[in-house]
Amino acid sequence: MNARLRIVKTVLWALIGVLTVVTLARFLRGLGATTDLSDAMPWGFWNAFKMAAVALSAGGFVVAGTVYIFGRERFHSFARPAVLTACLGYITFVVALLYDLGLPWHIWYPIIYPQVHSVLFEVAMCVMLYLTVLLLEFAPVVLESPWFDRPVFRTVHKLLHHAVIPLVIAGIVLSTLHQSSLGSLFLITPYRLHPLWYSPIIWILFLISAVGLGLMVVTVESFFSAWLFGRELRRDLLSVLGGATSVVLFLYAGLRLGDLAVRHDLGLALDGSWLAFVFLLEIFLSALIPATLLLFRRVRTSTAGLGICAVMTIFGVAGYRFNVAVVAFERRMPYFPTWMELVVSAGIVACALLVYIFFVEKLKVYPKEPKSEPAEASPALKKIDYWPTATYSLLPDSLGAPRRYSLAAIIAASVVVAFLPHAVLSGWQPERTPVSTTRTLDGWMQERDGEPTHEFFVAALETPVPDGAERLQLLMIDGNRDGRLVLFPHHRHIAKLGGQKSCGMCHHQNMPFDKNSSCCQCHRDMYAATDIFDHALHVSKLRGNEGCADCHQDAMAIKNRQTALACAECHEDMTVADSMVKPSKDAVKGMAAGYMDAMHGLCISCHEQASTERPQVYGSRFAECANCHRDVDGTLFQQRKPYVVGRSERP
Amino acid sequence: MSTWAILTDTTLCTGCQQCVEACKRQNDLGKDVARRWKRRIDALSSTRYTTILRRPGNHFVREQCRHCLDPACVSACLVGALQKTPEGPIIYDSDKCMGCRYCMVACPYGIPRYQWEKPIPYICKCDMCYERVKEGGQPACVEACPEKATIFGPRDVLLDEARRRIQDNPDRYIDRVFGETEIGGTSVIYISDIPLDFLAFKPELGKEPLPDLTWAALSKVPALIVGVGGVMAGVWWMIGRRMKLAEEAAGASTTAEEMAPDSLKPPQSSEKDEEK
Repeated sequence: MNARLRIVKTVLWALIGVLTVVTLARFLRGLGATTDLSDAMPWGFWNAFKMAAVALSAGGFVVAGTVYIFGRERFHSFARPAVLTACLGYITFVVALLYDLGLPWHIWYPIIYPQVHSVLFEVAMCVMLYLTVLLLEFAPVVLESPWFDRPVFRTVHKLLHHAVIPLVIAGIVLSTLHQSSLGSLFLITPYRLHPLWYSPIIWILFLISAVGLGLMVVTVESFFSAWLFGRELRRDLLSVLGGATSVVLFLYAGLRLGDLAVRHDLGLALDGSWLAFVFLLEIFLSALIPATLLLFRRVRTSTAGLGICAVMTIFGVAGYRFNVAVVAFERRMPYFPTWMELVVSAGIVACALLVYIFFVEKLKVYPKEPKSEPAEASPALKKIDYWPTATYSLLPDSLGAPRRYSLAAIIAASVVVAFLPHAVLSGWQPERTPVSTTRTLDGWMQERDGEPTHEFFVAALETPVPDGAERLQLLMIDGNRDGRLVLFPHHRHIAKLGGQKSCGMCHHQNMPFDKNSSCCQCHRDMYAATDIFDHALHVSKLRGNEGCADCHQDAMAIKNRQTALACAECHEDMTVADSMVKPSKDAVKGMAAGYMDAMHGLCISCHEQASTERPQVYGSRFAECANCHRDVDGTLFQQRKPYVVGRSERP
Repeated sequence: MSTWAILTDTTLCTGCQQCVEACKRQNDLGKDVARRWKRRIDALSSTRYTTILRRPGNHFVREQCRHCLDPACVSACLVGALQKTPEGPIIYDSDKCMGCRYCMVACPYGIPRYQWEKPIPYICKCDMCYERVKEGGQPACVEACPEKATIFGPRDVLLDEARRRIQDNPDRYIDRVFGETEIGGTSVIYISDIPLDFLAFKPELGKEPLPDLTWAALSKVPALIVGVGGVMAGVWWMIGRRMKLAEEAAGASTTAEEMAPDSLKPPQSSEKDEEK
């Protein structure tokens, strides 16, 4: 085996090791933990990847049609690799679909619950049927191997022989439907897909671009096998394919631009926006540049020219799918694929490539070379091979193949475990919403109409300050900085509650040597309860393991928060005796409530008491939401909290 | 019989969120938790089928599934897990769902939500309290509204009521019943003093129902099958015949076996090698 092939296989096996880990993460923890998909972006990279895989498989039906229907026998040598690629492309699609579906074990449901008005139903049926056709088309290659030299298989072989033309025609019909229906999927999203990509004929554009792409994939495949297995390049035939590609790509670009022009949206391509730039890049890369270059004979017959055109077309047309599915698709939240989404796609491709290599090595996928040693690199590519093979190798050559590949997979898998996000390793936690501290602002106040209370304003925002308005300092309480702020007259509260002695009424618990720790020092999350107990610190301060019994006094009980001593029982100085906030009996020890709960709990109870006991001083509306939340005044606003994480709930 | 509908008058809504709480209790949704895939904790989510959107200037707009008359989500669902009931509500059968999320892509209002945090996730959306309403009740949100800002009834009656309110108070309302004709019309309709463009992905919505757009392509499938299949068979026959004639004319002694198209034999060059 040549060194290049060995390195490629090692890398592919390493990718499979990574895929294994991420697969476990995906199916045990769900889509949310492994992808960046959201309610705003229900389809993402995997979907674009699937559509690109199908487009890349178009070579199968194009070449089969050319050889069998149009009788161009000289392209026969391309037929088997193209059908194999198509087969693997469609299997890739199905496997990627299993990752993308929320309930992959229901993948066969379209057969028993058909709903023919759905484009996705057409897609599903085409995939199932076309994959069957492809497998039947490829079956003879497998059946002719010596392993299947039995009468039963010979009969099947013979039957398939007679079915070639019907199979090829069925393949062409199903491919036409399937390639186009992937475009039709987006017909239903006229309000979400950018007008440069949305088109009533998007299904025709998908079909034609897939044909062009399929031809270029066949070309790349020839290069790939030349590079990897040292096979001869058929430049004469590739040149003809290149010419055909040029025609197809021009047809595609013409239709695409013509359609935009007819719908008067062509101007959007030049409006200088980010998406316009993406569009121009895509259309030039996928069609205009390669199609123009391929017109020249010199480009078509040179390895570099063909290679560059093929790579441009592949990236361009796959980019078209990617743009439709992701980039140009309107979403109200940012989306960027996670590395796990990318790795799953890469891992599936790695599997497909390994299967491809396996079939090429074991079966007659390619015609036999006139040369005696197929493993030898072709002369054109040989000169790159001047490094000793060992420098290429990540793993020593002395290892046997199975050990080398398993080692590569295991090393890659163990490395990737280190990169798994928290959500995968320990399950979903509520998202943190850190609380920002309060700020002091210059403000002024004014009496409220018909109420004995006051209304507060930020001096910098509400100018000019009316005559007679009293100026004062205000605290801006806006924990998550979403602009729904509460203006809090701190000095007035101090004055009402009894001067310096009253701090502890609200500042009910303080950091060591502190008398007025701010709220957000403990209530650190907007919604979720925060763990403010530092176990490690206590262990070290309490003489290590000797100190367990200081807090966990019941020797028979399980040592956890419930059975431990309450914080206040030791830290009397931290907890203020006459505070309005009394530690609740069933509260989990060492947990601080979410900021919103804490503030509502502190303020509302006192305001309610004041408005019921002394309405002549505070008015009847002192405990209503609008009293503090200024932006919702005037209405019967009752802030319900059906959304808040429970205050005693552990995160 | 006209289908059931909900009319929400945003000028009456005070944003008290009693509808949200009633909905949560009715559907047993539990508390909302901040998650990465939520922009805000009080936006629609898998634990919140209806919510109150605040707009600048103390305007409150209740967002929920619009229960379109010709719904895109139902036409998109390839297994029929989403169904438009004859009474109007769009209901979801989780037993059929495969989790493809095409309904979420298709919905022009971006309503369906997904349980992203679960390994076995389902679609979540308002079903207009179908079970309650079938037994003669009202949706939980409507029943809970203290201001009668959201009311329930037959769609044509509510449309008349909406038009009557606009006529009686032309200064108060924008002269438009949101959801009367947009994308084929919806069962949840709004009258408002502020534009409600933000409830959909684009401000201008056409009148054409979205399923018609896909059906335009889907209806061509049978013709495409026959057409492409026929043309391919025809080309094969013609080219095969022409080649045969050419051979006969040239007097070539090529055997029929070599002409037969096949993928069974190894490709030709290898055959030649073996002959050598």
